[in-house]
Amino acid sequence: MSGMRAQRRRDRTVRVLLLVAALGIFVLPLVWTALAALGVQANNSSSPPSFHGPPTLDHFSEVGLAEPSFWQELFTSTAAAACAAVLAVAAALLTAYGLARSRFAGDRLIIQWFLVLASLPAMAYVIPLSDLMRRAHLIDTFAGVVLTEAAVTTPLAIYVLYGALVQLSTEWEEAAWLDGASIFSVIRRVVLPLVGPTMGATAIILFVLDWNLLLVPLVLTAGGLKTVPVAMIDFFTFERELEWPTAAAALIISLLPVAILVAVFHRVLDRFALNVAPAD
Amino acid sequence: MRLSRRDRVILFAPAAVLLTGWLILPAVLGLLASLTDYSPFAQAVHLSGLTNYATVLSDHLFTAAVRNVAVLTMVAVPLELAIGFGLAYLLRGPIWGRRLWRVLLLLPWLVSPIASGVMWHFLLGPTRGILNFALGWIGRPELASPTGDIRLALPTTIAVEIWRVAPLVTFLLLPTALDVVVPALRPLLLAITMLLIGLSLGTFDAVLILTGGGPGTSTVTPALYSYNQAFGANNWPLGAASAWLIAAGVLGAGLVYVGLARSRAS
Repeated sequence: MSGMRAQRRRDRTVRVLLLVAALGIFVLPLVWTALAALGVQANNSSSPPSFHGPPTLDHFSEVGLAEPSFWQELFTSTAAAACAAVLAVAAALLTAYGLARSRFAGDRLIIQWFLVLASLPAMAYVIPLSDLMRRAHLIDTFAGVVLTEAAVTTPLAIYVLYGALVQLSTEWEEAAWLDGASIFSVIRRVVLPLVGPTMGATAIILFVLDWNLLLVPLVLTAGGLKTVPVAMIDFFTFERELEWPTAAAALIISLLPVAILVAVFHRVLDRFALNVAPAD
Repeated sequence: MRLSRRDRVILFAPAAVLLTGWLILPAVLGLLASLTDYSPFAQAVHLSGLTNYATVLSDHLFTAAVRNVAVLTMVAVPLELAIGFGLAYLLRGPIWGRRLWRVLLLLPWLVSPIASGVMWHFLLGPTRGILNFALGWIGRPELASPTGDIRLALPTTIAVEIWRVAPLVTFLLLPTALDVVVPALRPLLLAITMLLIGLSLGTFDAVLILTGGGPGTSTVTPALYSYNQAFGANNWPLGAASAWLIAAGVLGAGLVYVGLARSRAS
């Protein structure tokens, strides 16, 4: 009995030690960056290496000097990612609901192919897309970026929402149909309250994906509109290389919105699941 | 419950417009363009058959890119799965601060590939980086960044990608009770693997800043090649053709995925 307890305690210690090691690998680089942004930098030429520099917030204001439109870009990124995530989740909910409540040959197959579509790298279609968007006069427009970001992430949203919808019992929906409710009132009154948390979780994940997209905003803009990742490419060119503390401050600023979003809504993120249960 | 034809139109139209207009139509037009000498600014268009594909496939830069991305996929994807699974396994069951661990361990995935490139560019660099800081303490001489070394650049890129993507695997596995037998996890692991393969075959922003595809051709990827052909070298047909080769790779993996995912259902 006491042997078993000792064994369990040893297991727990090993587990915590391994987790701390993982934290060192996965989070320490970000802590290092945050310290540099706060002016505490490593000095590797001293022996042994040391840290130097008084903590300061100056580097955060330097970002605005080095990249004058950075705050504007931050706003563009936020607005575009938010609009695209909402649009994609809305469109995906309707399609996922239609698929989950239809019976036809190969309906499972279609949902698997949505996952393949979600895995398709943007490079597979952005070259002709940039041409199409130029012809549609959507280059350098907010709408062009939002619609494309939404389209890119819609397949993943359909896959996840289908997985949530197919598990629901259809009893309440049947009752609403018998009452003569329209498709919209069934979705609003019956479906939304049940899959609302999954939609929220999906919207957050899509926001992160959109926020970090590079290729899409890069080929669809020509300088008139910039998102943060596109601006970051210019941090290092032949003409200039940003100082490390300034770049670090920009990195931390660009990470903060998504980190806060995830931290605040971490509970609801449990609902973002890729396991589509085979209903048959 | 019977959806009427009108209901179906309402339900499927928005996503159909988005996906057809922004993904499928461009992909199909790209396929057609890759069989011609089309370019946005060309006066006339001529069919050119498979010439563009022949040119791309005989370009040593593209074959180097294919080799790199093959190594990247075969090394990074299994390691991302293994490390991601390991972390999720450590977080199974009751453990103090499970949600805090979970949020902290998702942080690397929240960093964009571009920002990750910027960050590791400095962290691996000599004067302010984490690598030389650690080496300095054990009395080793300063090293130049491994991203500038022709043999170390690809392994370094792979390591950075694993750092960024393995946490995503953990995040996707965690809501499922990991105590259940592994066969029940099979559809989930298949889906995650599919996403990781797509991510890896399309590697672009992860190398753009970190190595820029160099030194030499040691970290060039097909997506980087494709982008440079279309937007850098103004060689639109070669860009379209090489982009379609990436799409073909992912669709091939997709066929295998759908086959495997179905074999369980039956």
